[in-house]
Amino acid sequence: AAPRSFPWEPAERALGARRAAAPLAAMFADGTAPGADVRSVWRSARSARCEAKSCQTARISTAEAAAQSHTSRDAGVQTDHSKDAAQDFQQEARVDYAGLLSFLQKVEDAVIKELNKNWKSRAFDGFEVNWTDQNETVLCLHTLSYAEARDQNLQVTSVSWNATGSVVACSYGRLDDGDWSTEKSYCCRVNHRNCNSEFSPEHPTAFLPSVCLCASAGRSWFGTWLHSHAVPAGKGTTGCQARVGICDSALGVSPWCLGQVNWLPEAKHRTHCRLLSVSTDGKILVWREERDGRLVLAEGFAVVAQQIPRSTQLKKFARGDAAVGVTSLSFSPFDPRVFVVGVEGGFCLKCSTAAETLAPHRPGSSVPLRAPAELAFSPHGGPVYSVSCSPFHNLFLSCGTDGQVHLHSMLQTQPLISLQLSKKYLFCVRWSPVRPLVFAAASGEGNVCFIGDVHLFDFEKSSQKPAVSLKQAARDRPVYCLEFNLKHTRLLAAGDATGTVRVWQLSSDFTEQGPRERSRLEQLANEIPD
Amino acid sequence: GIPVRTTLDNSTTVQYAGLLHQLTTKARSAVRDLDPQNDLTFLRIRSKKHEIMVAPDKEYLLIVVQNPCE
Repeated sequence: AAPRSFPWEPAERALGARRAAAPLAAMFADGTAPGADVRSVWRSARSARCEAKSCQTARISTAEAAAQSHTSRDAGVQTDHSKDAAQDFQQEARVDYAGLLSFLQKVEDAVIKELNKNWKSRAFDGFEVNWTDQNETVLCLHTLSYAEARDQNLQVTSVSWNATGSVVACSYGRLDDGDWSTEKSYCCRVNHRNCNSEFSPEHPTAFLPSVCLCASAGRSWFGTWLHSHAVPAGKGTTGCQARVGICDSALGVSPWCLGQVNWLPEAKHRTHCRLLSVSTDGKILVWREERDGRLVLAEGFAVVAQQIPRSTQLKKFARGDAAVGVTSLSFSPFDPRVFVVGVEGGFCLKCSTAAETLAPHRPGSSVPLRAPAELAFSPHGGPVYSVSCSPFHNLFLSCGTDGQVHLHSMLQTQPLISLQLSKKYLFCVRWSPVRPLVFAAASGEGNVCFIGDVHLFDFEKSSQKPAVSLKQAARDRPVYCLEFNLKHTRLLAAGDATGTVRVWQLSSDFTEQGPRERSRLEQLANEIPD
Repeated sequence: GIPVRTTLDNSTTVQYAGLLHQLTTKARSAVRDLDPQNDLTFLRIRSKKHEIMVAPDKEYLLIVVQNPCE
């Protein structure tokens, strides 16, 4: 049968063809029809339109414009002990001593003449240069609060800056109850540069009651008041990384209060810090961090009544073996092994981490505790809440519930100066990190007209009255804690009983050292109290 | 500059030597740029806390730090 070329031929014609062509063929015959062929339009169109814009394999012509080879030389090597300088000295054995001698002889007269003229000259008396704009006022930069903590009427128990001075962290809790509470409490952090008066809670902790806190080097550790758990928080995480019961099976169950938590830079590894905790059962514990984030007890000290060195002015203690509650601690910046603790009994102790004598053994302690106390200073009228070592001299300040601040030298038991700041409790005292003669004290409430304030004292101006009083809280509520910012030395953070933290910017009086402050501080230290 | 003799501790000495050597060179070039016949004889830097005096020479520098007592 003739193949049909178009299957859609009109039926009559097809039928007719079939009938005419093959009468013997069946009605239906096999046939193949070639497929419909449509010429492709797009390919040709496309190839007509497109041109090679860039070829990945085409050669790029390059030409050398300049070649820079550098030589490098070691300027310095940073190790703990700089032995390089000593080597420099030894190399100069080949100095031409004759030439050196002739130079010195030539120059000596001129220099001595200048030196003599200089120490008699009055040319620069009263001459001062202002390199930065002087700021005369003290401003409150930020007022930070956390809404939920405010609803629960929690108070700020501790405030702290981190190592770069950009983040302030605070902890909430209760300090006015006599009893230990089991309410929920919070720890909050905020970057003070871009905060908008609201804390973002990093760790609203579920069950831990009021917390004390320290923050350093970008990581925060929160210690709690009641069950003595330390809950660290890594930077940027919202969960707890590790949790340690300080008074759990490592030491036997004893629910004592943690007073303060501090970082302790380790001597060998500068980047690692160890954590130091202070509690009212007299234990000062140093914790080391393990790889998985746990805290492990490294060493510890226990302050026991019978091992405190007596001096004739101190009263006798009731029980020899009683634990002496430690409330605060401060390390001396000059000797990393010496620290001062403030004690609930009202006096301060100078202690050393190199002490060898062991404390009486407590059941359940895994690490032998040593007795660190070396010297007991003369007491306050009430428990000491805060001690602070001066960064410029071996002096320290202590304050307590009798409203007095004592300035002690590390070498003698009697205070150099006692200032009666208020009739109420003083909760915190801190030296200024830049001016050797300035310190700040946070005062509490009471029923005399002193309002809850942060007072800044300047020994140079007047040792009886505060130089500046910052009104922190509105309604006579006490201020519990304050911290200077070590990097941005104009900032001071203070937290009070209404649950707000204020960041104050100090005037330039408080941030620039005067010319002779250090010598004045030494004079103060050398005065013998009468 | 490399310290030859000193009465201060090593690290301070090295710091003073390096910094003041550069400063003396710069001061000398400033003086000579202003007047080519002139040269630097003595350099004194007064700061809030003390005064630094530098006596320069072709090969050596003598640096003295004094606390002016006012």
